[in-house]
Amino acid sequence: MKPAVVAKDLVIAYANAVALDRSTFMIPQGQVTAIIGPNGSGKSTLLNAIAGLVKPTAGSIEVPARAAGAHRIAYVMQTTKINDTLPVTVAEVVTMGRYARLGAYKWIRAEDRQAVRAAMERTGIVDLGSRHLAELSGGQRQRVFVAQGMAQDHDVLLLDEPLTGIDITTAQAIDDAIHAEIDRGCSVILTTHDLSEAQVADYVVLLSGRVVAAGAPEDVLTPKHLAEAYGPALLHVSEDRIFLDDAAHLPVDERHVHRERSIHTETSHSDVHPD
Amino acid sequence: MDWLIEPFEFAFQQRALLGGALAAVALSLVGTWVVIRGMSFLGDALVHGVIPGIALAILFDFNVLAGAAAAAIVMIVGINLVHRQTAFSEDTGIGLLFVGMLALGVIVISRTPSYSGSLTSILFGDALGVTAGDIVILGVLMAIAVVASALLYRPFLVLAFNAQKAKLLGLRPALAHWVLLGLITAVIVGSFQTVGTLLVFGLLIGPPATAALLVRRVPVMMAVAALIGVTSVMIGLVISFHLGTAGSATMALVPIVLFFLVLTARSMVGRRRAATT
Repeated sequence: MKPAVVAKDLVIAYANAVALDRSTFMIPQGQVTAIIGPNGSGKSTLLNAIAGLVKPTAGSIEVPARAAGAHRIAYVMQTTKINDTLPVTVAEVVTMGRYARLGAYKWIRAEDRQAVRAAMERTGIVDLGSRHLAELSGGQRQRVFVAQGMAQDHDVLLLDEPLTGIDITTAQAIDDAIHAEIDRGCSVILTTHDLSEAQVADYVVLLSGRVVAAGAPEDVLTPKHLAEAYGPALLHVSEDRIFLDDAAHLPVDERHVHRERSIHTETSHSDVHPD
Repeated sequence: MDWLIEPFEFAFQQRALLGGALAAVALSLVGTWVVIRGMSFLGDALVHGVIPGIALAILFDFNVLAGAAAAAIVMIVGINLVHRQTAFSEDTGIGLLFVGMLALGVIVISRTPSYSGSLTSILFGDALGVTAGDIVILGVLMAIAVVASALLYRPFLVLAFNAQKAKLLGLRPALAHWVLLGLITAVIVGSFQTVGTLLVFGLLIGPPATAALLVRRVPVMMAVAALIGVTSVMIGLVISFHLGTAGSATMALVPIVLFFLVLTARSMVGRRRAATT
């Protein structure tokens, strides 16, 4: 299994606070990897380190895709950090993804327009191309940001909580787009606080200020590991299922969506069986 | 049409129009980024922060542009120092430097023999006293603003979208931010003699803010803002000629009035649309 990320004794600290303590792990290439953990467990920090936005305080993190250029890693950040009052159309926002390759001055060519068009098609936003960001719903905006990442020439796609607080239609569109990325050989690494999302990933990294476990979902999402990451109080184990009472820290509207999605998942196929 | 043409039969009015138009285009281009990035307070502070430099130049008889530029650099370094050395937001540093530099400027001016005349000249400019040399400086500044806006469009755009995204795309947001600050400072310093330090702010914010109400793309916003800025200068000069009002103040007031007219019209159209649907 070729690695997309290899970390050895990785430590990341801000000022005097350690965000991610000594961890050694790998993330496989060409698969969907979910990084899961409670709030403040270091999920976004790890994603930032993979993207090269933060440097390790100790140890190392290697992302082979970066050797071919920083632009080979596309990073879709949480929408809350975006200036969505900027007077730009959806098509322009998606085109920004191509700037990684084009830089400040190179002309936009037919292949760039084609890549933008393909990303918009895969995320189902072609009809929104001339709309302004501020006119879009939260779910539509999220699809635009995912399309921006996909338009970039990349080998690794990083998604920071791409499915948080969005409607089921958008979640489905993004899920389809993620699998299209895998089909073309790309690695997708996403963060989530939702156990059901982690369950359906190919690979899982469980965090709690350090990497508690990494591997296949059935090996990582066990009561033992989850209790270690979340604490026993948040973990509820029934006869054939595990539940996390982790939605309490979410804003009210996100909690609502979270519950809806959990219910949806429970009635489908992705419960975790305790070992 | 005579009332429109008559003011520009005089050479000093023609120079005022040309100088004002060049300043308006340069200020509109950089002002677009100021409005988009929510840097209006910084822009206002910079406009006032150059006053002690100008005052010192008047007091010790050296080049006022050099004095203004030095004061602007002190201002930016000071704001950055407060931001980096404390947990305060950038706004706190801007506020401290804004008041400090303005007060220092007035104190220095109060030591000059013609205190009120100097202060009025610095704050409100002398649109009708624009010289051929001023026009050359403004022309160079406008050319720099146009070229920089075109060449640095992508770094400035993605920086306004999200600084981290700009870093990820390799567009060097920190450098882009400093270049933009330098550009804003240069245009403000170069324009104050035409419209005055206080009123530069009117042309820096008014036309881009009005354009933002009308269009939805940054290059179009820049073009519309420049058009509004030049029109404001022309209308301001015509009004000041016929009514005998202060030229710089009238030029600065026009884009602000235009902003509220457009805002009112837009609200009325919006309400009418809502009523019909």
